[in-house]
Amino acid sequence: MEQKILRFVELLRQNGVRVSLAEDLDSLQAVAAVGFSNPADFREALRATLVKRHIDEPTFDSLFNLYFRGLGGDLVEHLKATESALGFEDADLQNLIDALSQSVQELGVQLSELARQLLTADLGRLEQLLRQAARHVGLDAVERPFQEGRYAHMLAQHLGLSALAAELEELKKRLRGLIPSNDWEKVQKFIDLRLQDLTRAIKRLVRQELEKKEPTLRESERIDRLGEKSFYYLTEEEIRQMKEAVTKLAERLKNIVAVRKKRGKRGRFDIKDTLRKNLQYGGVPFRIEFDRRVKDKPQILVLCDVSDSVRNVSRFMLQFVYTLQDLYSRVRSFVFVSDLSEVTRLFEEQDIHAAIEQALSGQVVNVFAHSDFGRAFRIFHRDFLPAVNKKTTVIILGDARNNYNLPHEWTLKDIRQRAKQLIWLNPENRLTWGFGDSEMDRYLVYCDVVEECRNLNQLYRVIDRIVH
Amino acid sequence: MVSYASQPFSSIDEVIARFAAHKYICNRRIATVVYLASSLQKPILVEGPAGVGKTELAKVLAATVQCELIRLQCYEGLDEAKALYEWEYAKQLLYTQILKDKINEVVGGARSLREAVERIAREDNVFFSDRFILPRPLLRAITADRPTVLLVDEIDKADPEFEAFLLEVLSDFQVSVPELGTLKAKHIPLVVLTSNNAREMSDALKRRCLHLYIDFPSAAQELEIVQLKVPEIHPQLAEELVHFIQRVRQLDLKKVPSISETLDWARALVLLNAEALEQQLVEDTLNAVLKYEGDIRKAQEELKDFLSRRKTERQGRETDADKDLLH
Ligand SMILES: Nc1ncnc2c1ncn2[C@@H]1O[C@H](COP(=O)(O)OP(=O)(O)O)[C@@H](O)[C@H]1O
Ligand SMILES: [Mg+2]
Repeated sequence: MEQKILRFVELLRQNGVRVSLAEDLDSLQAVAAVGFSNPADFREALRATLVKRHIDEPTFDSLFNLYFRGLGGDLVEHLKATESALGFEDADLQNLIDALSQSVQELGVQLSELARQLLTADLGRLEQLLRQAARHVGLDAVERPFQEGRYAHMLAQHLGLSALAAELEELKKRLRGLIPSNDWEKVQKFIDLRLQDLTRAIKRLVRQELEKKEPTLRESERIDRLGEKSFYYLTEEEIRQMKEAVTKLAERLKNIVAVRKKRGKRGRFDIKDTLRKNLQYGGVPFRIEFDRRVKDKPQILVLCDVSDSVRNVSRFMLQFVYTLQDLYSRVRSFVFVSDLSEVTRLFEEQDIHAAIEQALSGQVVNVFAHSDFGRAFRIFHRDFLPAVNKKTTVIILGDARNNYNLPHEWTLKDIRQRAKQLIWLNPENRLTWGFGDSEMDRYLVYCDVVEECRNLNQLYRVIDRIVH
Repeated sequence: MVSYASQPFSSIDEVIARFAAHKYICNRRIATVVYLASSLQKPILVEGPAGVGKTELAKVLAATVQCELIRLQCYEGLDEAKALYEWEYAKQLLYTQILKDKINEVVGGARSLREAVERIAREDNVFFSDRFILPRPLLRAITADRPTVLLVDEIDKADPEFEAFLLEVLSDFQVSVPELGTLKAKHIPLVVLTSNNAREMSDALKRRCLHLYIDFPSAAQELEIVQLKVPEIHPQLAEELVHFIQRVRQLDLKKVPSISETLDWARALVLLNAEALEQQLVEDTLNAVLKYEGDIRKAQEELKDFLSRRKTERQGRETDADKDLLH
């Protein structure tokens, strides 16, 4: 079991849930404390020790179901679907199953085990049969979506699906005379549907195994919407989600400072300073002096690419910039293509939709020009470098597609030297960085954090990594 | 370091039962985390919207294990002096006044201000001793003679710096008071931290804690809570009220009503002798549930819908009953 839990933790990590080694051990202890008799307790023990962010709970739940609950839930659903396809209510299904078994007995037919479990809907046993078959064909070796069909076929073969189909056909023939004609249609349909259910179960089993291996398969079903829906109006919910993410990001940026400063410890009572400050009260200590630390607000400069090559994600990126600007006072924002221009005022004064609209309209910088990161960075370097200091986090959002212009990476080097940190978020798939006119390879050496980021999920991942 | 005295719960079911005896309805998830916290001696970080029973959980926990509850309420700017200990300046001041002559003796003959200060500094351990220390919640929990439950309430309101400090305290339950030396806990307290999610807690803190997210309760649970806390309520009223509140929570509101508001409302309606939700009654009391004008308006819309639906349902039931009679 221990191995199984540890593998589950690994799965959580692959799916973007942060679990530390200490928490691994906690989960084992917790499971030992609640025991295995109640599956719900087992799940809650894992949840309490492994999932520390509410937003990760859906991921945890779906992976838990995949990993520990097995096929059970799906088999039940398939049966339910069949039930409603037959227009059954309440006990109808059970009555049919009972009548069917009765008839089979009267005929004296010896059904194969698979046929029997399928028709009596013994789901537990059915799952066991499927699992045995999975072990036999080595299903856990499935890795990629294109193998899905092959493995399903192997399972079907091992289970003897065509023999089963023939067996059920034969059964139908023999039942024909035995079953009252007004029930016959339903019985026949039931048998056919159950055979379909089995094929669905086989496919589901393969799919589950695959989903364990391929976090991206699941991710595509998740909250990817922001990036994709780039040209639609933002909903309240999307605005709220982004606010939440940006708040967390800013917290992270701040917390780095807090953790570094933590060693500064409690301000010690300073007797000399106290006496000096209290001379005005005749040397009686009225005001006690501790050395206090200054509070940090995130101080951020953010540069956002609004060129044509990133148009699909411009709204996502600008929403990010706007939210950052909106929530924190010491943020300055810039947009660029080949020119670069500050939009802090614009973003402060307009609502989010108007602000994004204007930034993309071409009134601020020419958005129809060809991207020239080198030139834009030089403008920033010339006009705004003094605004960068040891407390500033500089964030660049862009794909680094430079149309073969000069990259001028030295500008980043200078910025990096003056700043607290330089973060680059690139909306392009990492695999394509550095190919064609992408100058990402040149730029990334000067950045503290470089991440792929074109949607909220990825933004959360960035936030997670910033601590390291 | 002496560990937590005894394991106070023997099973998850026992947690549920003992909490219920103290009028707290906890679902299995909550009970599991409480059970784990007490058997593994780990702090619980409880997150969730305001008014879902986070603070109450800690209070009831203390009551069920019969320990003193020590509460540290967090706020912006909370510092170690307010959380851990302070020196009692007034008392120190009084002593310096009374002992003026003695002090003069110590300082007497000093040739410079500097020398006088040096001499005072040499004696400062007299004034920075147990006698003048004012223990705040954390120090009280550490030095308590019996096991305690320590509630760090609304930790999200404190600054990240304070959180870092708290983490240190939670990791070894000892603090060093520069003037006194190191103080170690005799009993590890059972710790509950609550957060309304104003900001995210650091990973380090979360790693140390069991995590529990409490959401608004299900209708069935909320009904149980109402019946437990407002036992005099008419059963039909209780049911309708919970049903309605659950629907109101689905609306797009500025502030979603929590359990406290449900209970306040239930009490108000009981005072008015209500037996079911009626238009006028609800309109008069809706401000116990919702604070914003816009929210109230949305709830009123919902109410109309709710009442008209109930009406058709009742009529349906009556005609059914008629049919039964005819048979
Ligand atoms: N599960 C519960 N059982 C009984 N009463 C509850 C429960 N949850 C909340 N309450 C009641 O709701 C009110 C608000 O709870 P509180 O603990 O103050 O909320 P929070 O700390 O989460 O903001 C309290 O009066 C409490 O008694
Ligand atoms: Mg509270």
